[in-house]
Amino acid sequence: MAKDLDMAPSRKKKIGVFDVVNYIVFTLVALVILVPIWKVLVDSLNAVGVYQFRLFPEDFTIDGYRTIIETQALYRPFVNSVITTLLGTVLGLVLSTLGGYVLVKNEMPGRNLFAYFLLFTMIFSGGMIPEYLVMKQIGLVDSMWILVFKHGMNVYNLVLMKNFFENIPESLYEAAEIDGCSPMGIFFKIVLPLSKAALASIGLMFAVTIWNDYSNVKIYIMDPNQVNFQYKLRNMVMDGDTPTTAYKVSQTTLFNAGIISAILPFMILYPFLQKYFVQGVNIGAVKE
Amino acid sequence: MAKKKFSKSGIEIRQKPLGLRMWNCRGYYVMFLPVFIFVLIFYYWPMLGVRYSFYDYKPVGTPKFIGLDNFTKMFTGIGAGAFWTSFGNTLVLSVVKLIITTVASVVVSVFIFEMGNMIVKKTLQTIIYLPHFMSWAVVASIFSLFLSPSATGMVNNILFHGDTSKFIYFLADVKWWRPIFYMINLWKETGWGTIIFLATLSGINPEQYEAADIDGATRMQKIRYVTIPALMNTIITVLILNLAKVMNMFESVFVTYNAAVYDKADVISTYIYRQTFANALPNYGYSTAVGLFKSLVGCVLVLFCNWLSKKTRGRGII
Repeated sequence: MAKDLDMAPSRKKKIGVFDVVNYIVFTLVALVILVPIWKVLVDSLNAVGVYQFRLFPEDFTIDGYRTIIETQALYRPFVNSVITTLLGTVLGLVLSTLGGYVLVKNEMPGRNLFAYFLLFTMIFSGGMIPEYLVMKQIGLVDSMWILVFKHGMNVYNLVLMKNFFENIPESLYEAAEIDGCSPMGIFFKIVLPLSKAALASIGLMFAVTIWNDYSNVKIYIMDPNQVNFQYKLRNMVMDGDTPTTAYKVSQTTLFNAGIISAILPFMILYPFLQKYFVQGVNIGAVKE
Repeated sequence: MAKKKFSKSGIEIRQKPLGLRMWNCRGYYVMFLPVFIFVLIFYYWPMLGVRYSFYDYKPVGTPKFIGLDNFTKMFTGIGAGAFWTSFGNTLVLSVVKLIITTVASVVVSVFIFEMGNMIVKKTLQTIIYLPHFMSWAVVASIFSLFLSPSATGMVNNILFHGDTSKFIYFLADVKWWRPIFYMINLWKETGWGTIIFLATLSGINPEQYEAADIDGATRMQKIRYVTIPALMNTIITVLILNLAKVMNMFESVFVTYNAAVYDKADVISTYIYRQTFANALPNYGYSTAVGLFKSLVGCVLVLFCNWLSKKTRGRGII
């Protein structure tokens, strides 16, 4: 899919007014996106907070990042985020591949019932409060595991996985069955190895969602030892919930270093995985 | 008696008895079991909870059945103004946001499509997808620092040359919150929105452009009469898909709003949240009732969009 994007129709090589306009638009759009991010990055490495936009830090320091690592109140949420994201992604992938695979098995009696069972959840939901009351009964309130379980089961991603499995040719299954492969065997030996790209895309979708979650933490978790990094960060920057221990950098530097730490994992991965991210959108949207 | 099944060519398909077919598929049932359990616990169990919308249910004491009182209170009670405000805001914010981000995505995709230089094009795509991966919490933090009315807020200092008396607290000003909210949404989601349009554009048959060249069409004319019409279907699809989610607006508002701008910013989900978790004596029954109203409107919207989708493009959205 991603490769198709390059296939713009060939144009005359002459540079016209339109090309000039196009380059200007490109520059403006890129600047609008990058200026806020660049400012945060530079400010996170600058010892004093300034309002000016600078290309490079004037008074370079890494104390902002050091403070985050050294302050338990900031470090713990970061570790929680890493743990919940990893486990939630694994659980999410297991459930959506299992469910998606079963849903393409037309010969299975009750397949349609299962499909409706899942689709109904996309039309109607209990809502925030009944969900909260159920989580309270299961004992997931005030625990970071809520993030793993709440995001692990995602019907939308399951349907994406199913769409992907539908494109695996039926003959492959038949050949494996004739060779005496069990349904489980087919799933592990044939379906999963063929689906690496889809697993990467959907796994990334899970990871981004869980890592980035703020509202579920706000709703379900009070215990400061159980919150995730996004929650801690937002409260610190916007509600002034700064660590009580004295820190050696300016508040602005600390805030900006926090923001960069929160986006760092995906910013590092992103250039390498861009095609899988883009692919994920296309599995879901343009199914033709 | 099971009814006989026939293949397309009219040959009877002999089906094994149901019990045997189920036995043969036992592996699949086992595989579905974990999904079944999770969906039951995390989706269906909460649905049972909607019964509390007919109860008076406080954290202490037992729930008491009160009929439709919660709904009366919601629609016509003393606090009904706040409810209707949040309902109206949900619709306005979602729909305006949807329209302007879609338009911006279309415009940007056309520019990207028209860019001949592959390296420049790839670079811009990489840049504009970036903000999508930032959480709402991060985006809110970035812009709150960027727009802050303090000595380190870039926008205020540049606009007013450091004259603190003129500083605007953009995120806490009733006049400014909505425009800023739309701008933040544009910043975050426009780039990501272009992916689907670019996929469509890459599918346009180059012969259409060649034919337009032969007819002597200018570049603008080609955009106007070939590119834009080719995008129309996708635009409609995107609008329909997102219209179904109008009621879901939550996190983007939740992280940027504050008490000063409730009038313009409060949406149904944030209203439910405050009624329950920012309330010394929450009534779960009442907030469940508001949630049920939201779910039902959402449900109607999904079914409507599904119908609309079948009408306009021949397949549903669910």
